[in-house]
Amino acid sequence: MWHRLFALAVLTYKEGVRDRALFGIGLFSLVLMIGSFLVVSMFMRELNKVTVDINLSAIAFAGLLLTFFVSINLMAKDMDRRTIYLVMSKPFSRAQYIWGKYLGIMLLILVALGILTLCSTLTIWFTKSQYTIYFKGFSWLEFYKAVYAQILMLGLLNAWVVFYSTITTSSFITFLFSISTYVAGQTIEEVVLFLKTEQATGMVMDQSINTLIHVVQYILPNLSVFDLKIQSAHAIVIPWDYLLTITGYSVTYTIVLLVLASIIFKRRELR
Amino acid sequence: MKQPYVLILILVVSIGLFAYSLQRLEIQRGKFIVKNSMGYVLPSKITGPASLEFKGIVSDFLFLKMSTFFGGKLIDKEIFEDTHILYIYDAMKILTNLDPWFWDAYLFASMTLAWDFQRVDLANELLIKAMKHRKNDFKPGYYLGFNYFYFLKDNEKGSKFLMEASKLPGAPVYLASLAARLSMYENQYKPAIIFLSDILKTTQQPELKKQYEKRLKTLIIMEKLEEKVNGFQRKYGTFPEHLNDLIQRGIIEAIPEDPYGGQFILLENKRVYTTSKMVYVKKKNKS
Repeated sequence: MWHRLFALAVLTYKEGVRDRALFGIGLFSLVLMIGSFLVVSMFMRELNKVTVDINLSAIAFAGLLLTFFVSINLMAKDMDRRTIYLVMSKPFSRAQYIWGKYLGIMLLILVALGILTLCSTLTIWFTKSQYTIYFKGFSWLEFYKAVYAQILMLGLLNAWVVFYSTITTSSFITFLFSISTYVAGQTIEEVVLFLKTEQATGMVMDQSINTLIHVVQYILPNLSVFDLKIQSAHAIVIPWDYLLTITGYSVTYTIVLLVLASIIFKRRELR
Repeated sequence: MKQPYVLILILVVSIGLFAYSLQRLEIQRGKFIVKNSMGYVLPSKITGPASLEFKGIVSDFLFLKMSTFFGGKLIDKEIFEDTHILYIYDAMKILTNLDPWFWDAYLFASMTLAWDFQRVDLANELLIKAMKHRKNDFKPGYYLGFNYFYFLKDNEKGSKFLMEASKLPGAPVYLASLAARLSMYENQYKPAIIFLSDILKTTQQPELKKQYEKRLKTLIIMEKLEEKVNGFQRKYGTFPEHLNDLIQRGIIEAIPEDPYGGQFILLENKRVYTTSKMVYVKKKNKS
């Protein structure tokens, strides 16, 4: 079973690498990273914070572009071009197809983000060597922890992409659903916190809205838990147990989504 | 005319028109920015969620935008207006809601609000917020203590904050003794000189650096003039009436020029001050 999964993952990865969008995304991120060196000189003293902010944002942005433009395309391609029949004629189960695709997408994201992290490391190292006194409050470990959290976030978001592609017939709808999930996932925590403070100050809210938000906050992924960029920029130590917790959250959520996607895809009539 | 030539002609004409419109745009946009770049900031309730996971870089961008705007005003030696107070305060509150550890934003706001607008209350409010988030950083307490001592003339609170700051990691060794001897420096420019020299050491941004250097230079002149005034008193048993008396008695050759364009004067309490109040003397009329 594993070698089939692995073969499908590698196939998906190779297909993804051939996507020209990948180079555009990579180039854009590299320009942003190199640009950070020029931008930092405009700041007062927290040059370490600004450098890390820009580099981590470039990595995050590249990851999102990969998800929304490459991953969705990789999932939809088989359906759109009818190559799904060819794939399905091989000794794969539909569930294996879903998992294989997901692993391939994640392999692509890991490689792309790995390269960008390496470039980021060089940019930060160079900036650090130029402005040594402004980098006293910088920690490589916290920087890599933030990158790791970003990968966890992308892992979860891509599981949603795979899930949506099994229930929709159009890659555009998958795109809309995925981007909505991302925005909602990034903001849900703030919305809930805001409502709690408003309620604490005596604001009366409709009970049905309250219940809806309460339910939605557990269904939607809370993507803001993976955002450690600001902490990393200030070298604030992120506890290992926090990292372990968000790893558990991302992995279990992803498994649930992929299992659901497998079930739906098994029942789906391919036309 | 053959089709390729028509296309080339159209291309040349459209490039010319484009160049013209670009030039117009630059002029109009310049006017537009001057008129519209200040005045409002989006509240945190919007900027927070709208920044998604890019709060750090958004805060950097907002800070850069604001500091270059003020930097530009400083270069042009324009006088700040009261409307800027609320803007800078609101903007910094939002910025520090996006990134509560952003020290540059706290420092810029506290320096501008306290020194340029004499709104020490607002500056202190932001510094207290900084203290809450930057628990292991001596700087917020240090600056807060200075504001209480120098601007609010509250030695007790000033000493308390400096003492607290001196216990935190990285605090300069002189801080504890400065806190203890604060009352000795009452009505002196020395702590302000120490304070500004410290800021200058770590300031990178050229416009701000120039501004702080100018302020420091002014403070040093005023401190030296006060030393001469006190020397006069020790020598003649009475304080001079005017700074010119120092020249007449040959203690100084001339009254130095105020880098801000004002004039140094001797106040009734025999302290040296400047008519510019260490902000640029208005040279431009409001249009």
